[in-house]
Amino acid sequence: MSGADDRSLKALIAEAGLRLTPGEARRMLELLRRDPTRVEATIFDTMWSEHCSYKSSRWVLKQYLPTESPWVILGPGEDAGIVRLGTHDGVEYALVIAHESHNHPSQVVPVEGAATGIGGIVRDVACMGAEVVGVMDALRFGDPDGARGSTVREIVRGVVDGIWQYGDALGVPNLGGDVFFSPRYDENCLVNVVALGLVRFDRIVRSRVPEEARREPYVLILVGKPTDETGFGGAAFASAVLEESAEGQRGHVQVPDPFLKRVLLEANRAVLDWLHREGVVAGFKDLGAGGIACASSELAAAGGLGMDVDLDRVPAAREGYPSEVIACSETQERFALVVPERVADRVLQWYNVTFALPEVYDGARAAVVGRVRSDSRYRMLRGGLPVCDSPVEVITAGIEHRRPERPRPRGGAPEPLPPVHDHEALLRKLVGTPNLASREPIVRFYDTEVQGRMVIRAGEADASVMAPVPGSKLGCALTVDGNPWWVAADPYWGTAHVVCEALRNLVAVGAQPVALTDCLNFGNPEDPEVFGDFGRSVRGLGDAARALGPDGPGGPPIAIVSGNVSFYNEGSSGRSIEPSPIVAGLGVLDDWSVATTGALKRRGSVIVLSGARQDRLGASQLRHALLGKTDGSIPDLDFERERRRIYAALEAVRRGLALACHDIAEGGLAIAAFEMALGGYASQGIGLQIPISGIGDPPGMSSEARLYSEAPGFLFEVSKEKLTDFLALFERSGVDATMVGRTLEEPRFRLLDGGRPLVDLDLETLARIHAEALAPMVE
Amino acid sequence: MARAAVVQIPGVNCEYETARALEAVGLEARIVRWNEPDSVWSGFDAFVLPGGFAFQDRIRAGAVAAKLNAVDRIASEAARGKPVLGICNGAQVLVEAGLVPGFRPGHVELTLAPNRAPRREGYLCRWVWVRAEEGPGREWFARGARPGEPIPVPIAHGEGRFQTADPEVRRRIQTDGLVLFRYATPAGAPAEEYPFDPNGAMLQAAGVTNAAGNILAFMPHPERALWLRQVPIDMAGDWGERRRAAVGTWGSLEGPGPGRVVFESLAARLRPRAAIGARA
Repeated sequence: MSGADDRSLKALIAEAGLRLTPGEARRMLELLRRDPTRVEATIFDTMWSEHCSYKSSRWVLKQYLPTESPWVILGPGEDAGIVRLGTHDGVEYALVIAHESHNHPSQVVPVEGAATGIGGIVRDVACMGAEVVGVMDALRFGDPDGARGSTVREIVRGVVDGIWQYGDALGVPNLGGDVFFSPRYDENCLVNVVALGLVRFDRIVRSRVPEEARREPYVLILVGKPTDETGFGGAAFASAVLEESAEGQRGHVQVPDPFLKRVLLEANRAVLDWLHREGVVAGFKDLGAGGIACASSELAAAGGLGMDVDLDRVPAAREGYPSEVIACSETQERFALVVPERVADRVLQWYNVTFALPEVYDGARAAVVGRVRSDSRYRMLRGGLPVCDSPVEVITAGIEHRRPERPRPRGGAPEPLPPVHDHEALLRKLVGTPNLASREPIVRFYDTEVQGRMVIRAGEADASVMAPVPGSKLGCALTVDGNPWWVAADPYWGTAHVVCEALRNLVAVGAQPVALTDCLNFGNPEDPEVFGDFGRSVRGLGDAARALGPDGPGGPPIAIVSGNVSFYNEGSSGRSIEPSPIVAGLGVLDDWSVATTGALKRRGSVIVLSGARQDRLGASQLRHALLGKTDGSIPDLDFERERRRIYAALEAVRRGLALACHDIAEGGLAIAAFEMALGGYASQGIGLQIPISGIGDPPGMSSEARLYSEAPGFLFEVSKEKLTDFLALFERSGVDATMVGRTLEEPRFRLLDGGRPLVDLDLETLARIHAEALAPMVE
Repeated sequence: MARAAVVQIPGVNCEYETARALEAVGLEARIVRWNEPDSVWSGFDAFVLPGGFAFQDRIRAGAVAAKLNAVDRIASEAARGKPVLGICNGAQVLVEAGLVPGFRPGHVELTLAPNRAPRREGYLCRWVWVRAEEGPGREWFARGARPGEPIPVPIAHGEGRFQTADPEVRRRIQTDGLVLFRYATPAGAPAEEYPFDPNGAMLQAAGVTNAAGNILAFMPHPERALWLRQVPIDMAGDWGERRRAAVGTWGSLEGPGPGRVVFESLAARLRPRAAIGARA
């Protein structure tokens, strides 16, 4: 390679099946000071993929995102972030959270792609020493009724199957998530997954060779499925635009096995318990992108030491794999453990004898495959000879690309909305559109109950709530949000709104927001307009996270503790997805018993609105339903006003002043009110009536804007006895709160305009349309 | 204190909450690995096969696990009158091992076939209602349940439809009262249609026992309905009312849930045995 010009470099790289650019190849030569071996070239190719290196995004993320706060124990950098939960019986507990995408694999082979997405994120949380207590997924699919509708529906079905088949078998409850349909996902669906774990503070395990390895010999143990060629090149595959023909790309997708994962998690639990009892400090890491090479070099580099990995000792599915395949394939269901040599035999015995891995699963086992060095050299050996030999910091140094940003040209004036003559017909249509229909047909495939920790489950409220520590009052809540149409309309404010929505969802169930994670899904970052969207979205995310901490801009932020960037989400037609930042919000409750849902609870109570409606219907569900368009201006956002509203709502729910609380999001006030009347999965038959004249300022606002503006806000159900206290709390907080309606004896949904009914429908009728719309997609 | 073994077969995934359920009713629970020495099993007074996907449900759900030595040992203990509760995948194992209904020992007389319901096949996770019937299993697993009382519990399975090809087996199960739990409506009537009948099982069977009544194959998950907080807040009926009224009161929400009756019945049945030193 040395001395080659760009053209011959390109040819050499292509011949080796790699995706490095000539510039990156030169940088590799400069770092190594010689030509690479094939193994080294493959390692650099993987480690410098966008997926592993964050080469385009890292400097933007570092510049704009707050990652520290009093709640944070460990921010971004390792496999997962860690946040304080609280103390029970004198033991301090923490929550572990990770968030990733598995987009390209899910588009090409939906079942396996989605399943390995769950599998990977679960490993990220488990390798911090945590018990995985929940997963959540944010899914983005194309238009099920569009030109590629049949493919889209197949992908929906496959992704849902992959999620339930993996998660249910693993025994990790599904905490819900969200689903959004838009034609720009036709050729590139998004499968984002979040995993949540619980760990005792004193049992956190780090993904690094420990300090103790400077004082006694440490070895590297690889445990799990025998290494094969599956997923070879997966990281690079995730870092390039999808090609039209999926056939050639399937080999890059890993093969999931939740059964083996469950057995491994049980064995890991026993091993980590034993190591803790023996007072042995270990390092632990999952094998994901880049396989053995990535995991072992990062473990070593994080501890400031080197490592020798003997590829001949890696248990393989068959003989004769090339070294680069053993080193870099992304075979699933594997972990790496760094332990003192003196306990290695005992650890192997736990895995291979006590939990009998080789008997339970063909070829599975634990084996010593490497040894920590006292210097910082990183070597891989085959037949006793080095096939990779470099200072470890060279392997893990990473690479950076400063990409240019360019704002998108403004579109023309948006076409005005036609007036709505029949509000009943409109509402009937809206509640059955894919974006607003009930998610129940999907959720019923997911095991929401396993582990027995659930307090409020997927689909019952704006966030899921769990009691993670048995016998304790400590609770945690999780939500995931993203509105691609809003972000496409305005990357900065659209993303800021997403953060607000996540926080609204947490406080609606009575949870104090403590951390965020982000998965930033965008198109090709080499396109300055795509990168411009990315830059503005990240700024919006960072600014919102700083502005919305409980004490405001001067106080601690809601820190972003983990996340992932996924670029190159575009189809072969060259059409990129909508810019799609997806934000998960994590909250804690001192006492989970306060958690409530958005469902109406009582006849004769009052409906209160907080959050003025705005005459901005750009990128709304209404605009899409009426015109098939998603352009226009999104509602304004005032950080300080929203912050006060969010924390007033939190106090109201915590003090039991609200019977129900529901955030206003897609579909606006009308849909939020309908969802409250619908009541999760089983209506209590309580009706609701809202005279729209009371919905507020400014006078003269159209009834469409009053009902369907997606401006931020909440609806509350408040009992007559608590109404005075409720309103006083909001007044004291300087936050608007307006009585806009009441609950009814009879199961009807009524919207009145000056006494005349705009909508007067039987709840059951609406509920049926809402419940059944998505069913044909997953049956 | 009576001792219960929660059997950890590779692939099961409900062992921890099942152990907590047993402890909550005053039993001593230990998670016992499938490959522990044979001598371990006789030291227990009761056995629970928890839910999950034992051996990946290879061949058929429960089929591989049913051939384990540990299951043979547990069957021997059951023949001596000790109770065995199989929950979900554990129920599938008991049926595949020929222990339920067990008319002809060693013969598989029942199956748990793929769910069948109009427009909804495949894996299904939801809360349903069951009611306890009269039969030999009642004193073991349902002595605390009032006749006809609707008990909400969640199901989570793809193959939960009790079925047999042998009309004689079906007849005996019915006449001997071996359907201990039937799917019901929220009001406690037998479930006629989906979703109250979630899978199309014969005789709306949710739980079937052997003739002696000490072995129960139960498809729902009572260990996931052990505390009031686990009851969905929007559920119809008494339990839903109780759940909604308890918001904000930790002590009530951490109190008993509807599924506890199964474990309490078991504990109550075991108590005098343990007290008179009958433990093996």
